[in-house]
Amino acid sequence: MSPRTRLAWGLVLLLAAMAASGCATVRPWDRDLLAEKKMRFVPVPLEAAADDHIYFSTEGSTGGMDAAGGGCGCN
Amino acid sequence: MQLEDRGGASVRRRLAAAACVLLAAGAPGAASGQSATPAAATGEAAVKWRFEGSGLLYGEQSRANVVEPVARITRLFSSGQALSAQFTLDAITGASPTGAMPSGTVQTTTSASGQTSTTAANAVPTHPFHDLRGALDLQWVRPIGSLVTITAGGHASREKDYQSLGSHGTLSVDLLHRLTTVTLGGAVYHDGVFPVGGTPVGLADSTVAKHFGTQAKDVTTALAGVSQVLSRRWMLGVTASRTRETGYLTEPYKIVSVLDPTTGLPTGQLTENRPSNRMRNDVLTSSVFHFDSDVFYLSHRYYWDDWRIHSNTLDIKVRHDISQDMWIQPHVRGYEQSSAQFFVFGLTHGPPASLPTYASADDRLGPLRSVTLGATYGFRVPGQPGEFTIRGEYMYQWVSGQPAGPSLQQNNGENENGGTAGGTGGGSVSGTSIGSLLAGYTVQF
Repeated sequence: MSPRTRLAWGLVLLLAAMAASGCATVRPWDRDLLAEKKMRFVPVPLEAAADDHIYFSTEGSTGGMDAAGGGCGCN
Repeated sequence: MQLEDRGGASVRRRLAAAACVLLAAGAPGAASGQSATPAAATGEAAVKWRFEGSGLLYGEQSRANVVEPVARITRLFSSGQALSAQFTLDAITGASPTGAMPSGTVQTTTSASGQTSTTAANAVPTHPFHDLRGALDLQWVRPIGSLVTITAGGHASREKDYQSLGSHGTLSVDLLHRLTTVTLGGAVYHDGVFPVGGTPVGLADSTVAKHFGTQAKDVTTALAGVSQVLSRRWMLGVTASRTRETGYLTEPYKIVSVLDPTTGLPTGQLTENRPSNRMRNDVLTSSVFHFDSDVFYLSHRYYWDDWRIHSNTLDIKVRHDISQDMWIQPHVRGYEQSSAQFFVFGLTHGPPASLPTYASADDRLGPLRSVTLGATYGFRVPGQPGEFTIRGEYMYQWVSGQPAGPSLQQNNGENENGGTAGGTGGGSVSGTSIGSLLAGYTVQF
């Protein structure tokens, strides 16, 4: 099985698990922890922006959560 | 029936969360956890402005140093809209590897811009440079109804030899009782490259005349993502993006060593040359899990492109609250990539015969590995608004299979482009140490 096929199957399983978990409702009054700022995928945006810049300029690959990239002649 | 005693603090927290959810009725995106959160979503209806500032000090061992101050100001409207402007300045000094191979003797290399530099025996040839980059980013977040949020933004940046203009947008929709957020987005960038001393002809020596004027580079990105609340403590997200780059994608200042096929010693140099198209793809999976007090962040990114670079990135952070006003967050990151199909350590065939169409000796297109270790310390000063963060990180980066010296080069096979390509097992592990310090401050008022 090629790496791309494995990735595709992994994603299908992951999305299926996510869809199945949607049946288990988390009630609004149970979202106290989820409402905390530190529960974001990117809790400190400026730190993440600095990381994107560092890794974009020092490595051959890029990409992530945001459509915004910000052009740079560093790579 | 015995009622479970969950404690007064927990009840208060749940009531606060319920109030927060009610306040957030006009501000979707709670499940996404992405981008700027409007004031109403955080229950801070009175807040009108947010300021975020940071200063980055970045240094590579015997190479580039960067000082990067960033300031972002955001206007938060009571409707849930947010408008932000970010200013970035990069001051870069130091030296950058030319792409030439080390040799057993003192080596004089001429960069594509015409700069000549002398390198000690067995050292990686570099050429000195300095640059100043300024960037402006604008972003507008607007909720539409209670379940949809659109984000639109623009970017402009300029440096000595590069200019970038771009725009981006995303649409996020909350579904299934706001436990699922689907995001679609895209970005378009139109960049210009105008190398100092002109644009060199690919795979030519320094005697070949250069082109003058601006070389265009266009970048288009499409993105789709879904994030899901799996439980009261756990969120999971998957984002996939595809980016198409067209135009001038060559590094104008990088060169490739021409090697004597017998001794493996550098005997000359050529400019590098890359294809004018690149299709990049990546899938990022992110998880945030809230333990009783600590928060565990785990993400993995798989990347592949049609230059045949494949990479895996694993990123782990754990946030531990020391007290109500202090926290610490250790960070570990591992990265590995395969080399581009036209990556070479050096070309064993000199001009005019048997030159490949494309060749680059840029480490960033090679079989690169890196490990990052660091920690962020966050704190609030009693009686003062805002939060401070200080982060220190150490990164070690190396190219796997790099020939240690001329005697080892013959042990490596030739790639399809006729260059000396590194094996995966042999060669040296001579890496670069990189340190960075990032200080930040965020305040709402």
